[in-house]
Amino acid sequence: MGHVDIVLSLIFLSILMSLGSSRLLELIRVMSFQGVLVSLVPVLIEPQYQTMSLAVAFASLMLLIKGVLIPLMIWFALRKVSIRREVEPLIGYHASLFAGLAMILFSVFISSRLQVVDRPESTLLLPCAITTIGAGFFLLMTRRKAITQIIGYLILENGIYLTGTALAGQMQTHYVVEFGILLDLLVGVMIMGIILHRINSTYDDIDTTFLKQLKG
Amino acid sequence: MLELVFVIPFLIGIVAFFSPVMMGRILLVATGIIEFALACMAAWTTRLPAATFYFTAAPEGCLVLLVTTFLFLIIGLYTLFYLVETDMPREHVFNGCLLLFLGAMAMVAVSDHLVVLWVAIEATTLTSAPLILLYHSKGSLEATWKYVLICSVGIALALLGTFFITLAMEHGSINVPLTFSSLQEVAGGMDALWLKAGFIFIMVGYGTKMGLAPMHTWLPDAHGESPSPVSALLSGALLNCAFLGIFKSYAILHAAGMAQWAGNMLVGFGLFSMLIAGVFMMIQKDYKRLFAYSSIENMGIIAVGTGLGGLAGLGAMVHLVHHSLLKAALFLSTGNILFGYGTKEIGKVGGMAGLLPMTFIGFTCGFAGISGFPPFGLFVSELLILFGAFKNHSFFTAAAFILLLILIFAGISKHFIRMAFAGRDAKLIREERLGRIFPVFILLAASILLSLWLPEPLRRTILDAISRI
Repeated sequence: MGHVDIVLSLIFLSILMSLGSSRLLELIRVMSFQGVLVSLVPVLIEPQYQTMSLAVAFASLMLLIKGVLIPLMIWFALRKVSIRREVEPLIGYHASLFAGLAMILFSVFISSRLQVVDRPESTLLLPCAITTIGAGFFLLMTRRKAITQIIGYLILENGIYLTGTALAGQMQTHYVVEFGILLDLLVGVMIMGIILHRINSTYDDIDTTFLKQLKG
Repeated sequence: MLELVFVIPFLIGIVAFFSPVMMGRILLVATGIIEFALACMAAWTTRLPAATFYFTAAPEGCLVLLVTTFLFLIIGLYTLFYLVETDMPREHVFNGCLLLFLGAMAMVAVSDHLVVLWVAIEATTLTSAPLILLYHSKGSLEATWKYVLICSVGIALALLGTFFITLAMEHGSINVPLTFSSLQEVAGGMDALWLKAGFIFIMVGYGTKMGLAPMHTWLPDAHGESPSPVSALLSGALLNCAFLGIFKSYAILHAAGMAQWAGNMLVGFGLFSMLIAGVFMMIQKDYKRLFAYSSIENMGIIAVGTGLGGLAGLGAMVHLVHHSLLKAALFLSTGNILFGYGTKEIGKVGGMAGLLPMTFIGFTCGFAGISGFPPFGLFVSELLILFGAFKNHSFFTAAAFILLLILIFAGISKHFIRMAFAGRDAKLIREERLGRIFPVFILLAASILLSLWLPEPLRRTILDAISRI
């Protein structure tokens, strides 16, 4: 079992933790942890990358943004808003955890059926990516607070990034382009944070069930 | 240098954030003029990009760029007069974001790399979100939240689709840059299954942004709640940019010999969008949302035309140009109506023919145009799409297309007649002003002119664009 598998197992763990956590602060911490792990994967999976300064520099930049900057921004947004800090799910924590386990099984099954490029480094990479995407969607759909929806979106994005690492060979890596994706993500979370603040000052809460005026 | 077309508005946009309000307004119009000139140069002289790897002046991109910059120029003129009469909160943010939004759309139009296109389309969401949020009403808050979240998630799926396409390349042992122009040449060698999977995700992802049903749910809210010049830009320019992403991906599938399969998908999404729009237009109570649904309908028509290909493809491109002109004219008119009556409810607007005569003329022409009456261009484009459908022997598509157009015409004309003639007890709160009306007439005149006489360079750009589908 290599370094990659250890990191990927930790990502699986972070997914289950994110589905089971009932406190918003805890959820942000889990997300930050997952951000750090996801940024490490590309460097660990290609051993020759560890000697390339550009790859290492990009990985550290991503670690800084996904692991520190974005969680900090959400934490600041949370500190300003909302007195009640529970997650308030539409589907309970135990059911969510069970759904998470089902997603893992399902993605292992799918990955074994898909014919993708052989990656002898790790057989866990693709199942992990698919589970992360699934968990992101699950959080988006089953959590009512606007802040948890942002976190769901970020987990979805992590999953898509992992899929990119798993599927696309490294020949298509362009750091300029990947930096663009990262920048979009950062600005996106910033804008979502601003809207969150406005939602809170208008409704005194960040529950998205208030946002149901516009119909038809 | 082709990149100037998006670098200039980005730079000016940042300047506008920090400059006084009057200067910001002047910058809007000045940038509009510069951008339109740059777009003409990009389309009709060979302007080579500095980063050939990421950007190119593809004909379909140039067409979208021309439409976008022309609309921005006219909407900029309208905004000058619009801002005088509204007390816009934080106007420097409005001016700055409007320019950044233009920059992001220009970047979409000239990008060639699949991921650069993705980055640019996501940037259009982010730069336009503050424009919808400006008034801080509960409605605009909800609309912005839905817009940012639904579009970001949708576009994330398009990124997944892009990764699938790289996988299709790897399976076919193709090693070329990940650009639309180079993939076009090697499309035949790519792995068919992953290419299809990639297209489905791209279709759903960019389709969300383009407003195709059933992913359209953010669109009526965002268009309905934003200030009228912003609605006009969202509908007339932004939706085209998202369409460009689908169009370019479709061209790859076409080159790979899967035009039938991908075309059917486009036609399916297109007809479904028309159906949803037609049904919801019938029961609409808010006239801005009415025209938002009309945008969904027209995006559906463009998707149908593109999916059928050939003559209908030509129709789709013509439709794109004229829909942008007419829909922008209509949304600017709704701005004037909102000024006049102070309400967005169809039921409270009435007797426009007597109360707001000039707005009424513009609004009526816009209505005639969007319903496909000659001499406006949508008449030509919808006929072309129908002829294309018959030529392909897609009789079911043709029949459904005609029926849905009738349904949509019934819905829109019901509300139009109500607003224009009925309800004579409606009260005006503000008179109309020429400054807010002449941009509408410029847009309408442009549509008439282009349907009677297509300048040779523009005709060539359109024909080049559809030569690959």
